[in-house]
Amino acid sequence: MDILFLLIPLSVVLVLLILAGLWWAINTGQFEEIEAEGERILHDD
Amino acid sequence: MQATIPLPLLILPTPHQSHAGAWAVLDDPAEWGSFSQQTDAHADAWESRMAIEGMHCAACALSVEAALRSVPGVISADVSATSGRARLVWTAKVAKPSDMMRAVSNIGYRALPATDAFMQDSRRKNQRLALWRLLVAGFCMLQVMMYALPAYVASPGEMTADMQNLLRWASWILTLPVLFFSCGPFFSSALNDLKQRRISMDLPVTLGILITFMVSTAATFEPAGWWGHEVYFDSLTMFVFFLLTGRWIELRMRDRTAGSLDALMRRLPDSVERLNKDGSFTRIAARRLVVGDVVRILPGEAFPADGTILFGNTSADEALLTGESHPVAKRAGAEVIAGSHNLAAAVQMRVDKIGQSTRYAQIIALMERAAIDKPRLALLADRIARPFLLAVLLAAAGSAAILWHTDHSHALMAAVAVLIVTCPCALSLATPAAMLTVSGTLARSGVLVRRMQALEALTKVDTIVFDKTGTLTQDRMVVGRIFVETNSNQAVLTEAHALHIAASMAKFSLHPVSRALVAAARELPASNIDVGVNRVQELSGFGLMADSIYGVLKLGSDKFCKFDTALIDCLAHDTSMVHLVSKHGRLASFEIVEAIKLDAVSAIDEIRKAGIDIEILSGDLPKSVDAVAIELGIWYAKANYTPQDKLARLQALQQKGRTVAMVGDGLNDGPVLASAHVSIAMGQAVPLAQAQSDFVILGGQLAMVPHLIHQAKRTMRIVRQNLVWAATYNAICVPLAVVGLLPAWLAGLGMALSSLLVILNAARLSRSFPLATQKN
Repeated sequence: MDILFLLIPLSVVLVLLILAGLWWAINTGQFEEIEAEGERILHDD
Repeated sequence: MQATIPLPLLILPTPHQSHAGAWAVLDDPAEWGSFSQQTDAHADAWESRMAIEGMHCAACALSVEAALRSVPGVISADVSATSGRARLVWTAKVAKPSDMMRAVSNIGYRALPATDAFMQDSRRKNQRLALWRLLVAGFCMLQVMMYALPAYVASPGEMTADMQNLLRWASWILTLPVLFFSCGPFFSSALNDLKQRRISMDLPVTLGILITFMVSTAATFEPAGWWGHEVYFDSLTMFVFFLLTGRWIELRMRDRTAGSLDALMRRLPDSVERLNKDGSFTRIAARRLVVGDVVRILPGEAFPADGTILFGNTSADEALLTGESHPVAKRAGAEVIAGSHNLAAAVQMRVDKIGQSTRYAQIIALMERAAIDKPRLALLADRIARPFLLAVLLAAAGSAAILWHTDHSHALMAAVAVLIVTCPCALSLATPAAMLTVSGTLARSGVLVRRMQALEALTKVDTIVFDKTGTLTQDRMVVGRIFVETNSNQAVLTEAHALHIAASMAKFSLHPVSRALVAAARELPASNIDVGVNRVQELSGFGLMADSIYGVLKLGSDKFCKFDTALIDCLAHDTSMVHLVSKHGRLASFEIVEAIKLDAVSAIDEIRKAGIDIEILSGDLPKSVDAVAIELGIWYAKANYTPQDKLARLQALQQKGRTVAMVGDGLNDGPVLASAHVSIAMGQAVPLAQAQSDFVILGGQLAMVPHLIHQAKRTMRIVRQNLVWAATYNAICVPLAVVGLLPAWLAGLGMALSSLLVILNAARLSRSFPLATQKN
């Protein structure tokens, strides 16, 4: 079970990394215009 | 189309017709700053924001994008159909803004520089920050739950103390961003409340968060200390996440309608043709106008400022400001107001007032002031919650004090249990959960809720004040009765024939009365009688003149036709009439009435059945107001009311203790709408009225008004149930917690379950309900 002493701090770091990713996603507008990309495939150009 | 029908003497362009000249002014680099930012000085690259009008789907957005990208010099173009905005990056070395406008216009849309790009940006920034707060709280909550799980499932002694400490430290680290970032709005709002000596939901929320965090932190780093050894990081993060979710949804709903203000600001033209000293005209930006300038206004353009007509005859559509749909004749010397549209002919005007001193700006200012003056309606929840929350805080303190002498840790545990068990979740969710749900349900049936608190006020409304034009009546006019001259020395026409002749003249005019005649004639069976109407002339403000097989025909007002309406032997003297006369005398007269909405009678009946008084306050003439009032059986109907009169009447009613709802349409209702207890705007209303009213009925159906009252009553019933449940739950659990009988884990579970029940009860409102009118 000693491995948990490594894994739990790692999971904290992982959450922070995921949050950093989300920060990037929000600030590049990934959550705005959610429908547009899905509809784009229906058009030829 | 113009090739197939004979050209009338006056061709009236539509108000939205674009003028190539208007774009040229955008090619002046001095103008770019208002809607663009230079992104790269070396390449002379600019980033611009444009508003695209006329799009309604993603396919439209794609074709606009394609058109913009095909303009040489445009580096990138992104168009959003939902917000109606385009983002362009282009290089000034090759491209000119007017080329882009033209490209969009060529495929049938209309592009405008989005001068409010800055505002748009700040709105988006707020939205992103709120979402970011929510996501931080959500992800940290998930992970903290994972760390908390072993403590719940492990049997005593199964977990080593080291392992327990490690999990707690990890929880503590992930709670920090929730506390210092996600909870920011709660803390700052609670601090504000404290400064103003108020108590709101945010204060106990803040207190609960802070104490829970302090107790848990102490327990983490000093498990043997007198703060006790229990941690509540999982409860803390979960609670914050729930609250933030509710707020984020509210923010989204509010922003959805904020865009309608942009459209109003665009009502004033961006550029105008100003007269130079040498007699020529130059296009300049409208904001560079100064008092005394002479400008030329083409038909279809909006007047940029208040002023006086110097040359030319025209008619102006002032419906935007007055809410009434009659074009007003404007001859040399007449005053025109900013924001109204020039309908008929090019005129020159002298600028008398600009900017904030125009009537247009004053109406907006009046409206904003009325909105600030509005007394804030106390929430039903707040009334119950405030004393209750105080009691809870006292109970928590009292509980800790009573048990303090026995055991510090036990005492603090009890206080925390009180704070957690009453964690104002159920109480604070009771109202917004129900209101959010019902606003979604209403949105599906075409009613937008702009201010949720108004739902409560709506249940108490005992007087509804209606505006007339566009609210009770349709925007257009219709032909009522037709009177054919019988005792004349010329051929007697049938009603249908008379209408046919009138319509064949009227089709060359865009005047609302003309359109009513044409529409009425279209209902008739097709006729092959050709009266040979040609050389139609429109005399602005009077009527139409034309040659025909009957000689010269005139169609128009009493004065124009030299005919006295009183000669007609009927009851129609008080209504508007147009006459058709030849040189031998009158042929026929047409009564022009405003059509009331199809569902007006049943909706008014329904409202009356609910025991609500109805009044009409209109800025229109007495005869048309009375006609509508009689048709609907409304006794209190006042005509010729200015916005100030309406406001005064409303305040008089409110002083008598009435709860007044105002149903309106048109910009001049804005201040009145804003000061009523509840305001409802019809969907065709100008955008500003939309932005200031509590509810917007998108389709303009009057039947929605009784439906809305019904839904509001249903909502308040559910809110009350929720509050009673939350209060009962608290009444049972708080005493248990105060005496220390409730363990913290049970308190947390009780809190979660009680809020779940509140949300489930509110979800009942999402079932859409049949319209009240269909039930009968």
